[in-house]
Amino acid sequence: MDEYETLKWGEVMSDHLQYLEEKRKIDSYFEKGYQIVSIFENLSGTFVDFVTSNDSGEREIVQLQLLTAESRKYIASKLIIN
Amino acid sequence: MSTLTGGQISLNLIDNFKEIHPGLTKREAIEEANRCLYCYDAPCIKACPTSIEIPKFIKKIATGNLKGSAKTILEANPIGASCARVCPTEELCEGACVLNNETKPISIGHLQRYATDWAMQQREPLFEVGEKNGKKVAIIGSGPAGLSAARELSLLGYEVTIFEAQQEAGGLNRYGIVSFRLPTEVVQWEVEQVKQLNVDIKTNTVVGVDITTEELLNQFDRVVVAVGMGNVPHLGIEGETLKGVYDAIEFVKRTKMDELTDDLVGKRVTVIGAGNTAIDAATTAVRLGAANVKIVYRRTKNEMTAYQFEYDFAKQDGVEFRWLTTPTKIIGNEQNEVVGLECLKMELGEVGVDGRQKPIPVQQSEFVLETDVVIKAIGQSRHLLLIEGFGLEHSKGVVEVNPETYQTSKEKIYACGDVIFGNGQGEAMVVTAAQQGKEVAEAIHRSFVLQSEIV
Amino acid sequence: MADLRISFAGIKSPNPFWLASAPPTNSGYQVQRAFEAGWGGAVWKTLGEPIINTTSRFAALSFNGQRVAGFNNIELITDRPLEVNLKEIYETKKRFPNHAIIASLMVEPKQEKWHEIVKRVEDVGVDGLELNFGCPHGMAERGMGAASGQVPELVEKQTYWVKEVAKTPVIVKLTPNITDITITAEAAVQGGADAISMINTINSLMGVDLDTWNTIPHVAGKGAHGGYCGPAVKPIALNMVGECARNPLIDVPISGIGGISNWQDAVEFILMGATGVQVCTAAMHHGFSIVEDMLDGLNNYLDSKGIASIMDIVGKAVPKYSDWGDLDLNYKVVARINNDVCINCNKCHISCEDTSHQCIDMLKNENGEPYLKVREEDCVGCNLCAIVCPVEGAINMVELKQPLPKMTWNERQSNIARFKIDKVAK
Repeated sequence: MDEYETLKWGEVMSDHLQYLEEKRKIDSYFEKGYQIVSIFENLSGTFVDFVTSNDSGEREIVQLQLLTAESRKYIASKLIIN
Repeated sequence: MSTLTGGQISLNLIDNFKEIHPGLTKREAIEEANRCLYCYDAPCIKACPTSIEIPKFIKKIATGNLKGSAKTILEANPIGASCARVCPTEELCEGACVLNNETKPISIGHLQRYATDWAMQQREPLFEVGEKNGKKVAIIGSGPAGLSAARELSLLGYEVTIFEAQQEAGGLNRYGIVSFRLPTEVVQWEVEQVKQLNVDIKTNTVVGVDITTEELLNQFDRVVVAVGMGNVPHLGIEGETLKGVYDAIEFVKRTKMDELTDDLVGKRVTVIGAGNTAIDAATTAVRLGAANVKIVYRRTKNEMTAYQFEYDFAKQDGVEFRWLTTPTKIIGNEQNEVVGLECLKMELGEVGVDGRQKPIPVQQSEFVLETDVVIKAIGQSRHLLLIEGFGLEHSKGVVEVNPETYQTSKEKIYACGDVIFGNGQGEAMVVTAAQQGKEVAEAIHRSFVLQSEIV
Repeated sequence: MADLRISFAGIKSPNPFWLASAPPTNSGYQVQRAFEAGWGGAVWKTLGEPIINTTSRFAALSFNGQRVAGFNNIELITDRPLEVNLKEIYETKKRFPNHAIIASLMVEPKQEKWHEIVKRVEDVGVDGLELNFGCPHGMAERGMGAASGQVPELVEKQTYWVKEVAKTPVIVKLTPNITDITITAEAAVQGGADAISMINTINSLMGVDLDTWNTIPHVAGKGAHGGYCGPAVKPIALNMVGECARNPLIDVPISGIGGISNWQDAVEFILMGATGVQVCTAAMHHGFSIVEDMLDGLNNYLDSKGIASIMDIVGKAVPKYSDWGDLDLNYKVVARINNDVCINCNKCHISCEDTSHQCIDMLKNENGEPYLKVREEDCVGCNLCAIVCPVEGAINMVELKQPLPKMTWNERQSNIARFKIDKVAK
């Protein structure tokens, strides 16, 4: 009982779940073939612009705002891996 | 009370009745206080029947805030100075201390004494009377439960009168606990604290004799019965009226009322029973100069009700224990003086309802212990006359109460302390009585608030 | 038996433990007692124009009953004429030729003053000179000590003047009352210092009396700031030694000073770049005999590690001391509670809950017994719980292997920099 209550409460506070969500988005863009074109950082966090081009050569840009420290670390680590 | 200093008996009897432990020095107190981990959600608080915020009062000792420390203790426990001395701390707060298996537990009892001793020396009132609410409460008995209830009710604005049959207030703490464990001055101070809150204590006043129960119920809005227990009952064996046979309660009481006499010097003393009162009587006898003190008990060490520290203390005082021994007759001489105690050997049989093995006599095992004095300590009788005078429901003298509210079978009469202890109900500790007194006060206050009688 | 001898900028000493220039080295009597007790060297109480001291000079910080956690003084340099000190130095050196005697010096920042005192002191046979550019009180008000030690040009110039005439190694003692000690350390090196020592005491006011509202200590109801030292300053000193040791421009030996109370402290300073250490407060607290365990403990430590000479470990931890920007952001530790050892004081829970990242839960097992558990995914590995835990081994910080490669802040910034440029260009 206690465990359930505490965990539920912890989830509300959890940076970790927020990170997992942001990481999932980052990974999914990479999986879909998007590439990073720009990274911009300010007081509100890190903004990553992903771009992809389809067969007809149209460029599609999505911007992802990363709030958690873990994902701001993760995105840069991906640059090292890729 | 981890420090035992028994075993050193002086020829000057007064010395033997001085408080055993001298109290912590300032340095000892600060070192010990600094050892406290200041646990969060501390187990010592949960183990204290009065829920004293122990880490808080200890931290205050460490910072030199002794007034705050004493107040933290006494807020939770109006007789915290007595409890600092008589609580079985190793079974309560100190037993719960997280340092038990790590190093040694914090000496919470000694620290509590240090802070309350400071308060006793200051003579500065720590609490203020609450705004009068116009309600009157009578409390019968000024022992731990009665004093505690009186203090709390007074803070809540009640006009409180305590009726005490004895010459002085304090009850068990005043008369029943040996002074080398609990000096009279401590009890007097605690009584004084309650008096300072405008509580009227009428001593030498026996309810049912000096004032009738009806008068009481007419004059007061609520009545709290906190009369504790009575003297030791009869053994029901031959020779109980001989010279040299004492009731343990009376025996201890005498050392707290009159000047100490030397009539026990060099005598052989036998105490019957192995509860805390028996130990008190035995160690008192040692301190009165008895040459030999024995405790006879029909069961074994495992079944005795005395606390371990009490037992250890008696052993250090040189008290001998005769287990599995039951008295059958007190033998007198021609001058009606005790000369011996005829006993029977026992063995343990099947487990009884109380979970303890029943003692069974061993056939033809009679023998005689030579003794000059016999002290009976086989439990305490009940104040049946008063209980029945109020018409309270009870079971063998144990007043029945609602466990939530301490209300008796009569709506306006509450009961707490030893008068409701027994038959598997409650605990006989001083600290439990103090807590019950607090709870009775709360319950009485709630009863008025529910009825919107207090504006 | 490990070899405890050191050679510090050419100064030979039978062991690395020297008494710092302070009250313990005020006289020949004291220094000779110290050498008899086992100290390897002594930096004589600073010589200069004899001063006048106040009475009531010291004060100490007690923490939860532990006395002398920190120590503060408003005593100045020697109050005895130079000749008296020089005579005693000469006699002491004669009795203990193999021990190191260093003369601490302080004069006005004038070339001729420095020349004069250096020549006179070297004539009696000292093994080296220590220039006191650090004393923070009293002397500083007269333009000496910390007042000149806080100005890099004055440090360099005075060191240079001393070096013009000095025949023995010159150690420059630095003040910590400065934003970046490496600046003055570099100035000393520029001036030709053969070695540096640090730290001198830190500006401090020990306390205020709650009843009289006097400062602690006070002189007839008035106080002035003093110099702070003792165990509480050790981390500050250790950092300053480390910062100088890893600075390539400061390529001279360092004598470590500041809160060193036992052999463990000494080993830490030596690993962090000190070639020897100086001690004062610990000796003032307990007397000279404490050096016995310093020597014994150090020797046993070196033996247990299989190290032949103390000189072999000098600076061995320096490469591990770096800048924050060079720390691996993908290294991860988390707290793990050993419930078999835990005593359930819940200090970890409340410290984490109130002041860190709320990741230690107070739970109950199937028997209703309380236990504590870290939610590792939320744990940032700050160490706080392990720090407040009173039981050794109850909380361990364990490394979680990360799938991500090592990446420092500096690497991260250079990696995303090219993408940042794109953005700006738009």
